[in-house]
Amino acid sequence: MALAALWYLATIPLGLISPGRFPSPIDVWVAFRQAAFTGYANGLLYQHILYSLRLVIFGFFVAAATGVPLGLLMGWSRRAEALINPVFLFIRPIPPLAWIPLTILWLGIGDAAKIVVIWFAAFVPSVINTLTGVRAVESYVIEAARMLGTPRYRFFKEVLIPAAAPAIFTGLRLSLQASWTTLVAAELVGALYGVGRILNVAQQDIYPGMIFVGMACVAAFGWAMTRLLAACEMRSLPWIQTSRVYS
Amino acid sequence: MAAIVFDEVEKTFDIGRVGFAALQSVDLTIADKEFIAIVGPSGCGKTTCLRLVAGFEFPSAGSVRVDGRPVTGPGPDRAVVFQQFALFPWKTVFDNIVLGLRNKGIARDERNKRVTGAIALMNLEGYEKAFPHQLSGGMQQRVAIARAYVLDPDVLLMDEPFGALDAQTRTTMQEELVRIARLNPRTVLFVTHSVEEAVYLADRVAIMTRRPGRIKELIDIRSVRIAEDWDRHERIEDVMDLESFIHWRTHIWRSLREEKSGQDR
Amino acid sequence: MTGGSPYRLTRAETLAYSATGTLLFLGAWTLLSLSGVIPRQFLPPPYEVAARFIQLLSTPFAGATLLQHLASSVMRFAYGFLLGAAVGIPLGLLMGWFRILDEIVSPIFDALRFIAPIAWVAFAALWFGTGIGGPLLIIFAGAFPPCLISTYRGARFVSRPLIEAAQMLGTSDLQIIFEILLPASIASIVAGLRVAAGLAWQSLIGAELIVASTGVGFMMVQAQLNISTPTVMSAMVAIGLVGALIDVGLRRIEAAVRRRGFV
Repeated sequence: MALAALWYLATIPLGLISPGRFPSPIDVWVAFRQAAFTGYANGLLYQHILYSLRLVIFGFFVAAATGVPLGLLMGWSRRAEALINPVFLFIRPIPPLAWIPLTILWLGIGDAAKIVVIWFAAFVPSVINTLTGVRAVESYVIEAARMLGTPRYRFFKEVLIPAAAPAIFTGLRLSLQASWTTLVAAELVGALYGVGRILNVAQQDIYPGMIFVGMACVAAFGWAMTRLLAACEMRSLPWIQTSRVYS
Repeated sequence: MAAIVFDEVEKTFDIGRVGFAALQSVDLTIADKEFIAIVGPSGCGKTTCLRLVAGFEFPSAGSVRVDGRPVTGPGPDRAVVFQQFALFPWKTVFDNIVLGLRNKGIARDERNKRVTGAIALMNLEGYEKAFPHQLSGGMQQRVAIARAYVLDPDVLLMDEPFGALDAQTRTTMQEELVRIARLNPRTVLFVTHSVEEAVYLADRVAIMTRRPGRIKELIDIRSVRIAEDWDRHERIEDVMDLESFIHWRTHIWRSLREEKSGQDR
Repeated sequence: MTGGSPYRLTRAETLAYSATGTLLFLGAWTLLSLSGVIPRQFLPPPYEVAARFIQLLSTPFAGATLLQHLASSVMRFAYGFLLGAAVGIPLGLLMGWFRILDEIVSPIFDALRFIAPIAWVAFAALWFGTGIGGPLLIIFAGAFPPCLISTYRGARFVSRPLIEAAQMLGTSDLQIIFEILLPASIASIVAGLRVAAGLAWQSLIGAELIVASTGVGFMMVQAQLNISTPTVMSAMVAIGLVGALIDVGLRRIEAAVRRRGFV
């Protein structure tokens, strides 16, 4: 609260910060209204947001749906891990954003390219965390399941996956964050719609108020998605009572 | 049920390039429905013996047979009660206990009947829908025992099952175990650090040497127990007061000391 | 359920499987490329990329050789990363000790930390034009949060008895911060540094894609505009290599710190 007041004071009456550099609260409000009701960069605010969200969610799901099973496989089977590891080790250090030029070459600046980039970004954390989670399951849990004569399918479904679930969720959280970050970056580089596009155009237009609006959107949705995933985690893992300090 | 035979069993673990000899040459025959306790200094290999019967490890030499057949892997015929309980935290008490029965393909009505019976036997009524983390250590171990018991196994393998419990809970569990064991006897292999526990519970006590272990001595407690009618006393402290108990306890203690003194360097 | 994991593979087996995997991967790549299923223009075979990579080490592209581009990228990374650490670590220690500071800074930090570093590019361009300030801000935005968080966590969760002993001995606040909290949280800090380095490197690349005129990221964008796929891929390999080196280096440091055995 105090901060908001400080912000307002610094920009308008005191003119400490020039409006060309950083927007005042009024500027931001004006920009927001424009984006929300009149439209900016070829669309209303909610349209841009929806566009971005659609891509993130789709990309995230594809990455999770491919990453978690692979992580399970590599975590469980040392053979699979040894086989796939070299490729993985090769792909891993390449920052997701570095895939952007290549995907633009391949697929242009449309939706498909964005999804591919998101996939590269979100895939890796899912695999790694799932793998680690499987490896971390205590041996006596596995032994107990074997002693009880648990057949393979049931073993995965009712023992291994629940045991690794906390780690899997961590991976999903990182994947989601990576998806969002990467999408914004990809949209900044080249896009027709989306939150990143807003930022891009606002920067070219030298419109600080709109820049702020764009960044606020990025922050807000980044936070919201993390919260949502945390809620899902709480719901699906009722037996966990640990609290996280900083996620 | 079944007899267990250790026939010149050796076990060496490969840690990196070094071989770690856990068992030197173990010969032991456990009769059908016999309750055997194995005691020995830390690291002597008593848990390894249990794991060989369970099928989590395999002998480097010699053979381990249950009911005449060599052990090929773990299974519900040799139920294990782990020191760490090894309950599945995401399953309720009921689901933890019933899993083994589901794996055996037993029909639902029969399953529920058996589980309810086991729950009653272990004094767990009312906790069917609780999760392990909501239970005390003693109760968790009861669930683990129920889980093993409900399988009606030929062999019950208990690896220091009361080691993680506090002293009072421990004595309660020991008394309960005696009650159940006398009610429905089966072959039991019980590994423990505690000499009192071994003498109180077992028909025979096997004393192991320090690593690499072998069976040093076998003490027949059962004949003493029956002769002195220990089961007449309900409470463990009353049994532990008896001269016959103290005699054998001290004997085993001394035997262990010999092993331990070799270990303290 | 028989056999089952996690049994271990022998070193020879691991090598065999890994080699097979690598060969399969390269083989599939070459096949896809040469067979024309994906036009060669977009998926050059591995050896072509390798050749281009070597070529770029000495031949300039978009203004400089690969090594020169890398050099300017690494410089920016270093500045941004060190700045992030230089601000994040002390601040984290102070916040871990002085509750008031924690209460003032935390809300601001929480609001800002969910902004993807790359999103700062708009303000960066506005404030710094095409100067080094732009990328620096973005890299800082990437490196700062992990440094702050890991230091803060390390400092806050130092075991109480240690602090109480120090207070009993009459240690001043400042002394406690630097002589107790800092050493006690060093493991956490170094772990955070590794995460920060990774993020900083990523943010650097992102920044260079948009607001730079030298550096590997810039090189990649130019190559993409020129439709020179081998160059793009070579740049990606270079980026990956450097990123991996940085990570390995920090892991070594982390392991060394852990071995020294501070708490």
